[in-house]
Amino acid sequence: MVGIVNNNRMKYFGLTLIAVILFIFDILLGSTSVSLREILNLFNGSGDNSMVSTIIFDYRIPKAITALISGIALSICGLQMQTLFKNPLADPYIMGISSGAGLGVALFLMGSSIFGASVISSLGMSIGITLSAWIGAFCVTLLIILLSKKLRDNLSLLIFGVMIGYIGSATVGLLQYFSSSAALKSYVVWSMGSFAGLSQSQLLILALFLIAGTLISIYNIKDLNLLLLGEQYAENMGINLRASKLRILISTTLLAGGVTAFCGPIGFIGIAVPHIARAVFKNADHRILMGGSALIGISTMLFADIIASLPGQSGVLPINTVSSLFGIPVILIIIIKKRMI
Amino acid sequence: MGALLELHNLELGYDKKRIFKGINATGSSGEFIALIGPNGTGKSTLLRTICHNSHLISGDIIINGKITSQIREKELAELITFVPSLIPRARNLSIYDMLSLNCYFRSNWLGKVGKKDRELIMDSLKLVGLEGFENRDSFSLSDGEYQRATIAGALVKDTPVIILDEPTAFLDVSNKYLITNLLKEIANKNNKLIIFSTHDLQLAINNCDKIWLMGNDNFYDKAPTELISIGAFDKIFKLQDYRFDELTCSFRPSSF
Repeated sequence: MVGIVNNNRMKYFGLTLIAVILFIFDILLGSTSVSLREILNLFNGSGDNSMVSTIIFDYRIPKAITALISGIALSICGLQMQTLFKNPLADPYIMGISSGAGLGVALFLMGSSIFGASVISSLGMSIGITLSAWIGAFCVTLLIILLSKKLRDNLSLLIFGVMIGYIGSATVGLLQYFSSSAALKSYVVWSMGSFAGLSQSQLLILALFLIAGTLISIYNIKDLNLLLLGEQYAENMGINLRASKLRILISTTLLAGGVTAFCGPIGFIGIAVPHIARAVFKNADHRILMGGSALIGISTMLFADIIASLPGQSGVLPINTVSSLFGIPVILIIIIKKRMI
Repeated sequence: MGALLELHNLELGYDKKRIFKGINATGSSGEFIALIGPNGTGKSTLLRTICHNSHLISGDIIINGKITSQIREKELAELITFVPSLIPRARNLSIYDMLSLNCYFRSNWLGKVGKKDRELIMDSLKLVGLEGFENRDSFSLSDGEYQRATIAGALVKDTPVIILDEPTAFLDVSNKYLITNLLKEIANKNNKLIIFSTHDLQLAINNCDKIWLMGNDNFYDKAPTELISIGAFDKIFKLQDYRFDELTCSFRPSSF
């Protein structure tokens, strides 16, 4: 037992180290090259370079923090959903929660342009996007709660997620005909996913979502462990199963809904990271997996962000493209190995 | 003092469909009781109803003098343990962690158990013959070992009544007898009331203090010998060309 505990501590330490290194690299690397010396000068106050200061403080550090928050949120979200639905493929993206959010945003952006409400201020715009993404995510979660008995097997879950995705793209297709190109463009930009461009107040709201969602998730750990042995077994312990499930889904909506609203739909991280954590820690205990998934999620997201904004290219790749390139191989391995949780 | 468990005129059903009525039975501490009946009569429904009041239409279930439909889930969970027939296995879940899940209301908010429960877990593992298994991955156990681990889990939960749904259904002959003997021993030595459903007549007749026999709108709560003498088995299992044979405790072709 002691050996296992020490071993896990070493793994936690290693993962934290990787996350810190990636965080630093994420700040250092980008389309404009900034040397480490320039950054250090910035912190010393010795150099006086306002351009570097703007790049670092107004752009790269908020972007890295957003990536970090999204990594934690999506990973522990996927972990909880996989245990709750006893399904290794469950995550907010597959289950259509992200698509629901996307649908909400599409309706808001393009709907408002159709009805001539194009004079919304930029603040109103960002509040509108956030709220509509949230409502979309919440509606799909509600639907999942209602259908949860039927969604237990992999196939129906996948079908559900794919269908919600189709409804989303069909609605977007329909709206495209009527909406302005500006509204269409802002939807497409949102849907590609990005960690950049969050204002400090937006970042604060996202952080609050994360803190609330994470606290509920930590409180869920005991029930999640019990759910490993099936719902019948959990019920037998005398717990209120409905309340536990609701608590898990509320925390996942807070986490996934918050991230999707601000950063766009980011796929496959929620599925892949918990499986990597299981492989690293070789333990089903959520007391260990929750922290492990969060740390691996941070590293994965930061790495994805580094790849997305690799130097030597003029623009920034959509995060969703990069995360798919990581996540899909993991999913294929799960399906091939039929690795159950 | 009356019996530990009393069933008074239970009627079971789902929504509007009635399944079975007129169930009257008792069980006392230290008794080992088998529930027998044809497929589809509602054995599992009865067991689940005793544990959770889930399909109760009318009648009273009384445990330790308390009507179970009037007490809280948590209190009921401290009186009775249900072991489902197929408990899903989690990969990389150690036996120790699996058993500590049974201390749900005694462990802290993160599920960490105290010293007393730690000892109980170790003692329970020893009792079911799984000493030294605490750090093993529950996924790597054989079916017989896993079933023993779930029984250890019921012991860790430490309730006066333990109910098992077909605990021996997926086991080979030697494991079947091993598990049955183990349950019988726990009932006798630890003074628990153990009720389990099975399709194995012979095993039930030879080992159990009482049999609850249900089917064809009849419900018997009697000792095995009594059931044989009144010809209850032939009445419940209406087989055309087979008769219940007292000597072998099984059905044999009636032409013999």
